[in-house]
Amino acid sequence: MPADSPDKVIDRSAKLVFSFFLSSAGLWLLTAALLAYVAAAKLTDPFFLASYEFLTYGKIKVAQANAFVYGWGGNSIFAVSLWILARLSQAEVRGSVFLVVAGVIWNLAITFGLLGIMDGHMSGHEMLEMPTEVWPAMLISYLIITFLALVIHRSRQVRETIAPQWFILAALLWFPALFLIAWNGLEINPARGTLQTVLSMWYGQSLVWLWLTPVALGAAYYLIPAILGRTIDKYYLAIFGFWCIAALAPWSVVHHLEGGPVPMWIPAVGTVMSIAMVFPIAVASTNFHATAFLDIGKVWDSLPLRFVIFGTLSYTVSSYIGVVFSLPAVAKITQFTIINEFHFNQRVYGFFSMIIFGAVYFALPRITGREIPKAAKSFHFWTSTLGVLMLLLAYLIGGLTHGVLAGQPSLPWSSSVIQTIQPYFLITKFAFIILAFSQFVFVVNVWRVIFPNPFVYFSANNKEASV
Amino acid sequence: MNNLAKFTIGIFFTLGMAWLAFVVGARSQFGDLVPTSEVLDDDGLVPEDAELFPVAISGMAKQGAEEYAALGCVTCHTQQVRRVEAGFDVERGWGKRPSAPRDYVLQEHVLLGNSRIGPDLANVGLRNYSDEWLHQHLFEPQSIFPSSLCPPSPFLYQQIDEPVITDIKIVSNEVTKETRYVRPTVRANRLVAYLQALKQDYELPEVSFVETEDVSVEEEDVVSTDVSTVSVSAPKWLQDQIDTGKEIYMKASPGGGMCFACHQQNGEGLAGQFPPLAGSDWVLGSKERLIKISMYGLMGEIEVNGVKYNNVMAPPGIPPGSLTDDQIANVLTYIRNDWGNSASAVSAEEVATVRASLKGRAPMQMFTSAELTTPIQ
Repeated sequence: MPADSPDKVIDRSAKLVFSFFLSSAGLWLLTAALLAYVAAAKLTDPFFLASYEFLTYGKIKVAQANAFVYGWGGNSIFAVSLWILARLSQAEVRGSVFLVVAGVIWNLAITFGLLGIMDGHMSGHEMLEMPTEVWPAMLISYLIITFLALVIHRSRQVRETIAPQWFILAALLWFPALFLIAWNGLEINPARGTLQTVLSMWYGQSLVWLWLTPVALGAAYYLIPAILGRTIDKYYLAIFGFWCIAALAPWSVVHHLEGGPVPMWIPAVGTVMSIAMVFPIAVASTNFHATAFLDIGKVWDSLPLRFVIFGTLSYTVSSYIGVVFSLPAVAKITQFTIINEFHFNQRVYGFFSMIIFGAVYFALPRITGREIPKAAKSFHFWTSTLGVLMLLLAYLIGGLTHGVLAGQPSLPWSSSVIQTIQPYFLITKFAFIILAFSQFVFVVNVWRVIFPNPFVYFSANNKEASV
Repeated sequence: MNNLAKFTIGIFFTLGMAWLAFVVGARSQFGDLVPTSEVLDDDGLVPEDAELFPVAISGMAKQGAEEYAALGCVTCHTQQVRRVEAGFDVERGWGKRPSAPRDYVLQEHVLLGNSRIGPDLANVGLRNYSDEWLHQHLFEPQSIFPSSLCPPSPFLYQQIDEPVITDIKIVSNEVTKETRYVRPTVRANRLVAYLQALKQDYELPEVSFVETEDVSVEEEDVVSTDVSTVSVSAPKWLQDQIDTGKEIYMKASPGGGMCFACHQQNGEGLAGQFPPLAGSDWVLGSKERLIKISMYGLMGEIEVNGVKYNNVMAPPGIPPGSLTDDQIANVLTYIRNDWGNSASAVSAEEVATVRASLKGRAPMQMFTSAELTTPIQ
């Protein structure tokens, strides 16, 4: 029996953990897609399922965001981070049992959290709406997973670290810090008045900027050179980009409080720092796209890379648009409109999810040894692209309309402003149907590879082991 | 970057700087705000005996805040009036002044929100909505604003077949104009108490009312329900119909009926000229006849309570014949329930039915007594 290559040994060590987190992530993705459809349908017909209290719009919308960020986002972050760290450290994943147990706790905590939201125990803090009872379980399970990720990193063969490791490690470490700060300021020593809002807003936005974003950037830094077989162009800029995000992003997010009942310096600082964010955005964009466009034919041919480059392009565009919308003159129109939905979906669908899809399609065949049919991946790519573009355009144009009409005090609210933007909600409903379909294809692709024959999975595994 | 400890310190340092500013710094700057008086004295102190603002909301309203948070109302409604240079909020009539951090210091749930698919609610308690109106809106927003996207909350109400005084009348906005009565649960009452408590109607040393020449109040927000006249003898919805009907009866400008000019304020009419309404067999009798007269008027001889009159009653309303179904329903309900009269209410649906049956009739073609006493098929 020939000795396996080191990569194969590592991939085998990651198989259980990666499969577990990825299949859970897939289920959460479908849950979120269903909730997103219900929420969108309620905006086109308010009487849709109106008699069920647990399905009222306010709850469903919040449950959807939480299922997406913590369920899909959290699980896929664990899967992708652990595998990339193991590959880059040339070290095996250890403590799989603990990882799976922690993952089960994390998933149970979110399940109960969402049920709590629907049962009327929403906390009212942005992106921390799940009842406080599940927060300890989330934190503990998260810390176990992060600890074991750090163990992989500490046992690395090469001392030198590279960009993907910085971004992924930073994201893994920032989350519990943000979580504890928010927990302390909102529940343990609750701040009074609008300080609560400053903190929950800062937490909610930082979650996207300091948790989802760095993992996706790290994955892109890993996948682009790995698939193209060339080094990142102008790699020396990456370290500058990393520290710019670390230093600026936590400041920039508070510009959303523009004009509100908080001291004026808070949104002002946020706006200044948002403008400064053009530097890290430019760095990441240069690194990714200068490298990819040297070999654009190969990018197009490789489906994982096509997903990743879609994500990085989306990141660049959305971040620059975010900078423009943080300017007070523009924010006067766009603040509080459905442009917020544009930002959120651009970031979580158009950027984060697309890169994760790419990473999964790259990693899964290597880990399981089974290929996903190219047609299935391609179908997933095109339906995702169509759905995302439809969704984002509807929210963008609808949001601008919303803002411009709302700014004319003579127009009555529901019979003029809201009625005008209602057709855009109809478009988003269809976009969410397309996306749900697309994500269903993704999950089927993944599950078919992880469980090629679901009823004999364990016995097949045993056979493999005995060979 | 290669040493994990140093790397960790680095990334926590950058995060810590923002934490110092937005959590520690902000807290030390405005974390200890307390209620204060509208104006300070010359020494910058709160004058003795001055009323302090903001005031704490009632216990009922506090429980309402819990309901508001649990139902996720904050998903679509903000509770903040932006500074004048940062938005249109004051111009839209959403507040008399921008909100200040001090306004929120007594609130357990600070629900500023960041999305406005619905209007801002920081001052919803200042908009003169009656409790009944808010209940109608909570039960089925579309019964008030047909194009509203706000989800109905029927689960906060009980459907009632035999309404009593505190029940809420819902007339759905669909073609059917279906009328229902619902009874608010305690949760609905809490929510309404909370909404009514949301108001920033005081000035603070740091922020005063914005001077606007003409605060344009949205048309759809104007509600003229006089809550003070609720009588204990009639259900609230009936009392509302009677009150509105009386206004129409007494109003001598466009949109009114000017009925009092002939039938008099006391409903007694003028002997020999105009028949009385008080105790009149016509008024207390067939609704259909009354509705027809209210639409087309009446001419020629008529016998009321055994006394003959011969005059012309032009189609009521200013301009003549302009009364809507609602107005006719209200004014007829009024004349059937004042001056000692007591008869069943007339609904807009009944008026609409009669109007439909008279489709072919030429406008302004007044009825005669004979026409009305012989049943028309």
